[in-house]
Amino acid sequence: MIAFVGLVIGVVVGLILQPTVPVQLQPYLPIAVVAALDALFGGLRAKLDGMFDDRVFLVSFLSNVVVAALIVFLGDQLGVGAQLSTAVVVVLGIRIFSNAAAIRRHIFKA
Amino acid sequence: MSTPPRTTPRTRRPDESMTLITEVMNHPLDPGYAEAAARRDTRTRRPAGHLAYGLVAVALGTLATVAVISLRAPSPAVVAARDVLVKQITARQAHADQLTRDITDASDTIAALQSQALAERYPGLLKTIEDDSVASGAAAVTGPGLVVTLTDADDAVDTDGTVDADKRVQDSDLQLVVNALWASGAEAISINGQRLTATTAIRSAGSAVLVDFVGLASPYTVDAIGDPDDLHDRFAASTATDQLDVLQESYGIRTTTKTADHLALAGGGASTLYSATPLD
Repeated sequence: MIAFVGLVIGVVVGLILQPTVPVQLQPYLPIAVVAALDALFGGLRAKLDGMFDDRVFLVSFLSNVVVAALIVFLGDQLGVGAQLSTAVVVVLGIRIFSNAAAIRRHIFKA
Repeated sequence: MSTPPRTTPRTRRPDESMTLITEVMNHPLDPGYAEAAARRDTRTRRPAGHLAYGLVAVALGTLATVAVISLRAPSPAVVAARDVLVKQITARQAHADQLTRDITDASDTIAALQSQALAERYPGLLKTIEDDSVASGAAAVTGPGLVVTLTDADDAVDTDGTVDADKRVQDSDLQLVVNALWASGAEAISINGQRLTATTAIRSAGSAVLVDFVGLASPYTVDAIGDPDDLHDRFAASTATDQLDVLQESYGIRTTTKTADHLALAGGGASTLYSATPLD
């Protein structure tokens, strides 16, 4: 639970401070956000499944963002940045969709 | 007859070739959650761990929010880039203006030095240069002369905005007048303040008439310095006057001609040195 509370505090801090992102990091932001969304939905589903764990949630969140950014970075270096970005978005998109469906079943029982 | 029971320990899954998709579709939840739930009962967590998780969560939330904000509003970077460009353009323009002023100042200085140097040693040469600069249009001149004004027809631009090019003064009309004035004995000519030098072109670009690459608009005032009466008589007798009459009758382009006691014509800008030979 402390992870969600901390996350909310972090969102508020980010909204208030609004620091600027270095230009070098700009290309990785979209993928990082999608990865963060995936971790968020995963955590929400785990919560509804009754097996939420702060540690797993935070580690999956962090590793998702880092790995996604790393893949894009690698793709950029190899000249296939756009394709790898698409791959990451497809996989994470499917996961988000499935988790959202599970959450929906939990809430609406349908 | 009975079929033998399938006793093979490992049967090939029908979707084995699609394990990646199956994995993604059926197990979207991180397996770590299940493992953590399984071992949760076996140990208790220290309070320090909670604090660390909280801090990491705050950091992650901040990062994600900052990422979303900067993605949602890419305009600051674009605006900043445009501001930089605008600043550069303004700075370069100011620099170019400054350089133009420098050139003008340097030209004046050169002219003054030239006059000074030549006045002592070669007064005859200085006289030639002054005469030539008047003839070439480099020097500003004043004197009596003739003023010819050409004006577009009133209905050159229709009410719906279409332009009838035939009813506007064209570059060829101005060329005609200028050549007739030269032939009539004009010593210096300018059109709407643009001095005609030895290398000035009268052209048209689209609907605009360019004199020395400066766009001019109707009415066109052609100032010619020379003996007013002589200019007037000879210009009136030239073929240009006949053609101007045709322009007026056919297209409504109006022309007025009048003598002036005092005309001031600006110089034609900095002269360019194309060739030089040493004295003596």
